[in-house]
Amino acid sequence: MLSCQRPILAVALALALIEPALGQDFFSKNVYPILQKAGCRSCHAEDGVASATRLHFPPDSASNQEIEAFGTSLASLVDHENPELSLLIRKPTNRVAHTGGERIAPGSEDENLLLRWLRQLPKLVPETLASKLSGRSAHKEIGTMRRLTHSQYNNTVRDLLGDQTRPASQFPQEDFVHGFKNQSEVQSIPPLLAEAYSAVAERLARNAFRRGDTHNLIPCRPASWRDAACRDKFIRQFGRRTFRRPLTQDEQSRYVQLFAREAKHSGKFLTGAQMVVEAMLQSPNFLFRMEEDSRPEWTSYIVASRLSYFLWDTMPDERLFQLAAAGALGSPDEVEQAARLMLKDPRAQQALDEFVSQWLRFDRALNTVKDRRLFPQFNPGLAAAMTEETRRLVAHLVWDRKDFRELFTAEYSFLNSDLASLYHLPAPNEEFERVQFPAGDRAGILGHASFLTLTSKPEETSPTERGLFIREHFLCQRVPPPPPGVNSNLPPLSEDKPRTNRQRLEIHLSSESCSGCHRLVDPIGFGFEKFDAIGQRRETLALTFFPARGDEEKRKPTKVELELDTNANIQGISDSEFSSPKELGAILAKNRECQMCVVRQLFRFAQGRTEMPEDRPVLEGAFQTFEDSQFQFQELMIILAKSMALSSDARSASAEGSGFLFRKGERKVAKSDTKRHPQSLAMPVSVDTRQSFRR
Amino acid sequence: MAVKTILSRRTFLRGLGASGAMVCVGLPPLEAMFNSSGTAYAATNGTGRGSPFESRFLLWFNGNGIPEKYWIPTETGSNYTLTPCLSPLAPFRNDVHVITGLDNPAARKPGPGNDHHRSMSALVSGTSFTGQGAGCASIDEVIAQKIGGDSRFRSLQIGVCQESFGESIQRNLSWAGRDRPLPPEMIPHKLFNRVFGTKDVDWVTRKRSILDAVREDAAALKTKLGKPDQQRVEEYLGSVRDLERAITSLPPEYSKVEEPDLSGDLKDWPRIAKLQTDLLVHAFAARQTQVASYMLSKCQGLSRFPWLGYTALRHHDYTHENVETPQGMRILRDICKWHVEEFAYLLAKLKSIPEGEATLLDHTCVLFIHEHAEANSHKNNGLAVIAAGHSGGLKTGMHTKMTGTIGDLYWTIADEIFQSRLSGFPTADRKLSAVV
Repeated sequence: MLSCQRPILAVALALALIEPALGQDFFSKNVYPILQKAGCRSCHAEDGVASATRLHFPPDSASNQEIEAFGTSLASLVDHENPELSLLIRKPTNRVAHTGGERIAPGSEDENLLLRWLRQLPKLVPETLASKLSGRSAHKEIGTMRRLTHSQYNNTVRDLLGDQTRPASQFPQEDFVHGFKNQSEVQSIPPLLAEAYSAVAERLARNAFRRGDTHNLIPCRPASWRDAACRDKFIRQFGRRTFRRPLTQDEQSRYVQLFAREAKHSGKFLTGAQMVVEAMLQSPNFLFRMEEDSRPEWTSYIVASRLSYFLWDTMPDERLFQLAAAGALGSPDEVEQAARLMLKDPRAQQALDEFVSQWLRFDRALNTVKDRRLFPQFNPGLAAAMTEETRRLVAHLVWDRKDFRELFTAEYSFLNSDLASLYHLPAPNEEFERVQFPAGDRAGILGHASFLTLTSKPEETSPTERGLFIREHFLCQRVPPPPPGVNSNLPPLSEDKPRTNRQRLEIHLSSESCSGCHRLVDPIGFGFEKFDAIGQRRETLALTFFPARGDEEKRKPTKVELELDTNANIQGISDSEFSSPKELGAILAKNRECQMCVVRQLFRFAQGRTEMPEDRPVLEGAFQTFEDSQFQFQELMIILAKSMALSSDARSASAEGSGFLFRKGERKVAKSDTKRHPQSLAMPVSVDTRQSFRR
Repeated sequence: MAVKTILSRRTFLRGLGASGAMVCVGLPPLEAMFNSSGTAYAATNGTGRGSPFESRFLLWFNGNGIPEKYWIPTETGSNYTLTPCLSPLAPFRNDVHVITGLDNPAARKPGPGNDHHRSMSALVSGTSFTGQGAGCASIDEVIAQKIGGDSRFRSLQIGVCQESFGESIQRNLSWAGRDRPLPPEMIPHKLFNRVFGTKDVDWVTRKRSILDAVREDAAALKTKLGKPDQQRVEEYLGSVRDLERAITSLPPEYSKVEEPDLSGDLKDWPRIAKLQTDLLVHAFAARQTQVASYMLSKCQGLSRFPWLGYTALRHHDYTHENVETPQGMRILRDICKWHVEEFAYLLAKLKSIPEGEATLLDHTCVLFIHEHAEANSHKNNGLAVIAAGHSGGLKTGMHTKMTGTIGDLYWTIADEIFQSRLSGFPTADRKLSAVV
């Protein structure tokens, strides 16, 4: 029987001694299932919307021991004098206002069981509490190899061979996971991709020498096909650039052999070279980036690759290779110096653009479809302009060293004439010129047509979708998916029952099974209702009812206008009432979770994985630097590049690693500082791919 | 890349068999491409001589589900009336078995994703969606891993309509294992080159040396890595091995296989569907593989239908907007009828290939599945499936309402027709005697 791979959790725990008044497994057998049924974890997790509370559940895959440990740890959250008054019981029964609503019926058997557990917690001996376990589980062993992403492949073959054809556009597409296309977890090479690599390698190698050595890949002039010295030199130098580190002795001989056989067969030096190029482009040493290696002389090369693939989205250049060869990328200062120089290079722009297009899901904006009767002006050209606007705003904030929080508050943008017309503004003199907005509701990314469009349906807006995007992309909070089998169609609109989205979505908010989660997203989206499905401002909701096919002769389309109420707020953020994208932008810009989320998103992109508890020092250090620099994004890139480049393993900085982050005299992140950032970091959780949330 | 060849691509063969002449240089003999237990599958051959024709398995899919009112026949048994959606199957009544009522219980387990993600993973593998992909290998790959070892291609994945929301679980039908998709080949001329492009011997030898070097690099690399990375490299090595086998085994001489026209609208789905079907059938007939999957449209697919006149919205939108209206229902009926038309084209092609005294259809088992039954409600208990072909004693010619799960059906077919000797399949409980 075919067995599926399952992640293995290695658990190293010491069990707390519990007074056997309630039996060894009482919590995991009787109480925990109640909490599971109540669905607490969907919000009370490190990356859930209740992450700011002190109650964090262990992951789905937790073992019995970990669950028991968790049960014991609740002792620190219980009122020792009067356990019945603890929030732990009064919130889930909604006796005290609970954002998640009533999850356990007051007076029920379930409540009794929970209470029994809470009552005996204060009786636990203090020592056992002190050795309270946080249920540490070793994480699924993660790999350290990262396959070149398709964009990296394109850039690399361009820099290596001068090829401009961007061949990876023919590869099977990459998938978004954790919000990015470059997560190493899913970078497999199925047969179809292996074949594609093979076919492309063949073509690239052939083209490289089609009219002689037009790209100067051969560093010498071969006397004949037998010229061993030139051959060896070529293989050594080309190999170093292709594998991004010097070849081993074995590799050198392997490729020499390959070359020699072919050159002898054809009588030409260049066909031997072509053979070597074709083979190296399919080697795992080219296709994968090793994050670690035992050879100390390769360490600087690994640093060089990490830097170049993060900051440039391509292979190291000759300068970086020379620094690597000299071992001059070993200290934080050297790395920082290199990184700063790299950010001045135009290649940094392609890397930033790649990050932005993934983080802000340009692909969804470019692939969306709109009803042509309602939005005749929407077409691929307009969609492309929308993403260009957003790209330019971010580029301006980064390269012109602005406060990155302006992403949410900018009262200007970069428009072409189509976008200006969409925003009811006069056409700019030049395409994508900077245009100041008049006083109004629109500001920042939340007012960009790209965001407003990709979070809408073909015919209308979706407050749920907009709220969800903001939670996930700007607050890094995961919202649980709808339960299976639920019919998430909104009640249909008809001429006799015209309703606003707020009215139609009332179902979500009044039904017990829906409101717990929907209260987290819908009320955010309502604040955007005065911006339609392609980002145009509207004062009222104009519904058009088209006659059925065949009836066009008899009846014209009917229009109904409804008032729009855009009062909105964000559950979990105090004083977060707003009624327009501009007001929400101001709230988010000041919000710590949002600012930290920017750091986390860049981290995920840079590392190719989600954050783990061990990454906490790096993330907090990076945040500190970001904040201290007045939120200059380049400083964030540099600090993350530094920590990434020098960490001794891919699991990121240990305490020693984070020591590298600061020079003498700079503030170090003291333990007490962690209290400033109560929001904890995400454990790897099951991915909630939301791109097609619309069912 | 097709290069001037030694063999003529258009030579006729008088019937297939071990006698197929092949010019090989240092390549495995043709006999090795036969599944040696193929003689056991002579089921409907009827010649008494024992057919050397092995059974083929095809998983056939279109996304989004069906309008039950126009699709599921009201009567059961052999005299059921063909519904409007099934009407293209009229010439093939005796070659198909319409099976309704099977449950897809793994789709309802709580977990990440929307209904389509969960249903799709459960449909093909019987396990829950992981958040990235299917939880386990898909049924076609499970079978391929048992019987595909001797074929030039362990299995082939083919697709047609490209429009999709874009996630892995929506784009891919076949899964080699948990979170390991096998993307389908969507472009006919690429598929042709892969399967039928003949290369000259020099090219093959050259490629072999290159892949040898790649394999040596990978083997050296593996020794230095930790476990998860080793798996990554091992997977790459597996793909390289598959690649080597695919390019180094020259296809045998075979009756004319037309190279698809490189021009023409690459988004003319009915045309592309037929080209791909042709190539698939030839691949089976030429014994290039025994297992394949065909994804007419993607899970939660977004196709437009200009040839039907439906372009205002996309397929997925049509399944949810205004479906209660007569017009909405008509649109769904027409769309699903088109799907069945393409399926009927496949059956006709399979039937047109003689194999010994019988036809290729007689030696094939096809399963036509969707991720949902009633599309609007995302119904996953009570799927509508069509089993077609006559391989291994498949019962055909009727409509049966069954109880049981889709896993039961897969297990039954895998064991009874393909002798896979599986100890089970996720969500399978028992074998369904009404199928085989």
